Amino acid sequence: MIFTIFKKELIDTLRDRRTLMAMVIIPLVIFPLIMTVFTSISKSYSKDLAEKTLKVGVLEGQDNNEILAFLDTLQTSGKIELIAYEDSNKLKSEIKENTIHFGVIFPEDFNSSLNGNQTGKVKIFHNSTKLGYKEQLEMILEMKTKALEESRLKKLNITKENINPVELEFQDVASDKEKIGKIAGGILPYFFIIFCFIGCMYPAIDLFTGEKERGTIETILTVPVTRVQLLIGKMGVVVCSGLLAATLSLLGLFLTLNMGTVIEDPKLMEVITGILSPKFILTLYLLLIPLTIFFAGIMIPIAVYAKSFKEAQSIITPLNMIVILPAMVGFFPGIELNLTTSFIPVVNIVLSTKEIIAGTINYGYLGIVFLSSLILAGIAIFFSHKQYSKETNVVI
Amino acid sequence: MIEVENISKTFKLSKKQKKELNTKDEFSHAVKNVSFTCQPGRVFSLLGPNGAGKTTTLRMISTIFKPTDGSIKVCGLDTQKDELAIRKKIGFLTGSTGLYQRLTPNEILNYFGKLYKLSDTEINQRKSELYSLLDMESFQNKRLGKLSTGMKQKVSIARTMIHDPEVVIFDEPTSGLDVITSENIIQLIKSCKDQGKTVIFSSHIMSEVDLLCDDMAIIDQGEILFSGTMDQFRSEMKEKTLTGEFIRIVNEKRAQ
Repeated sequence: MIFTIFKKELIDTLRDRRTLMAMVIIPLVIFPLIMTVFTSISKSYSKDLAEKTLKVGVLEGQDNNEILAFLDTLQTSGKIELIAYEDSNKLKSEIKENTIHFGVIFPEDFNSSLNGNQTGKVKIFHNSTKLGYKEQLEMILEMKTKALEESRLKKLNITKENINPVELEFQDVASDKEKIGKIAGGILPYFFIIFCFIGCMYPAIDLFTGEKERGTIETILTVPVTRVQLLIGKMGVVVCSGLLAATLSLLGLFLTLNMGTVIEDPKLMEVITGILSPKFILTLYLLLIPLTIFFAGIMIPIAVYAKSFKEAQSIITPLNMIVILPAMVGFFPGIELNLTTSFIPVVNIVLSTKEIIAGTINYGYLGIVFLSSLILAGIAIFFSHKQYSKETNVVI
Repeated sequence: MIEVENISKTFKLSKKQKKELNTKDEFSHAVKNVSFTCQPGRVFSLLGPNGAGKTTTLRMISTIFKPTDGSIKVCGLDTQKDELAIRKKIGFLTGSTGLYQRLTPNEILNYFGKLYKLSDTEINQRKSELYSLLDMESFQNKRLGKLSTGMKQKVSIARTMIHDPEVVIFDEPTSGLDVITSENIIQLIKSCKDQGKTVIFSSHIMSEVDLLCDDMAIIDQGEILFSGTMDQFRSEMKEKTLTGEFIRIVNEKRAQ
């Protein structure tokens, strides 16, 4: 009987455009599309910036010096364009107006400081709201400052070793897999948890609140099935929708990465592809199933209580934030899977996934995560049943 | 047969409901000490204005609600003890076509047939009988969302009758329907009576009651104001029309 209910609700759900949009189209099409477009725009912006001529304002009448001469030579390559200004105020206002990118002002004693083996200070005015430009100029000027440093050391007859008494050499023992797992591993659970939640949302509202709104609830309550059978059949569809959305979001993510426009480093790509082992997928589902039941268990009582689709949506949508915030934990360094975090719902799944990707999972903690998720899922089912058994909740 | 004995139904009021009703009472009494009997082969009507307690009474008979007090027996079975067995024997139909818009009539009848534990052969046999009776062959595989109100109502009727129930409960079955669609329902009620089924229906339209009923009860504010046969009602009438008499009884009680 439960399977009959499940099958009917699944067919009904898969024919709902809103659910299909949230469950299939967004994770599998829209999301990869946005990611690809975003990466392409970002790459094209960086490329444009690298090829752009930096307009540098200098004050008229300044003594020539090595930096100015260096910038002047770069004018022929088109990297730099020097523009002369009579006074510094005009120079600053033109930076604000984005007519030029930088203003370089040298103090009067710049040359004498340099010749006297002192530090020559250069004032560089810039607009920090124009992202990326400062780094471009820093990179260009670093070439000259390094050259000046080397020539001064040579002139003074000292080597680099003379002024560096200690050289720190850090040797990273972490494998690429570990590094990716710990640093970027938070992205994966973030996406599948969010999509899992959204994937549960519309079917939960449609199958519970929608049934009240459409008046089909009275029909179904007069057939010889128990409320538990109805609840389990419907909940099964909500859980499957969440799992399907999560799966498709992962598929979408991997398809995007495999298109080659997002990650170009083959070494990184090899590690990412290697994550998709049957063991990883199996463990992931082992964690995802109780989490999805828990999500369904949060939404179903609300959907049962709400009198209209709008009301249910207005209560459940803000819950998204409650899920998004713990799902973001994976992005923060320093938060590790331990005895405390393995009991916190959503956070425990995020941290476990990170550890699994990195290959550093502690199976004791993984067991706690699984068991605590199972208990939560059980509580969610119990609470859903309690709400679904209330006459006044079920029938308007 | 339906035997309703002194049933009452109270609902706990929420803060919002108390405010809306401007009351300090914790409970609202939807139905108070209601008793009546519906016999097989006869049509019983529950007549009352909006909010009288008709739907709550029918929901208790069809096991959707449990009575707070009293007892209901359907075909000799207690609604509080044998709800699943009773549900196999009843068909429930409302005026608002509560059906799944994304499914086809065929899928809906298959689904309900399975829920009533009919075999595939029984389902197919009943479907072909109902399709021919209600002239549904042409749209059996079209999704409900694309059908007209009349077609949807036919699907509702077929859904109600798929398991050939002994007792049929109609809750304001013609409410909001056009004349032609309402006629389908009236014909269904007549044919159920002819087949010896127990039929109960709620309405606030006196002409419908006059046309179809053998027995009736007038209900208002959860209480039965009259219960008896249609002949008895007509013989005791103080007004010229049935509608006039119905209004007089309701107003007289409200004035007390």
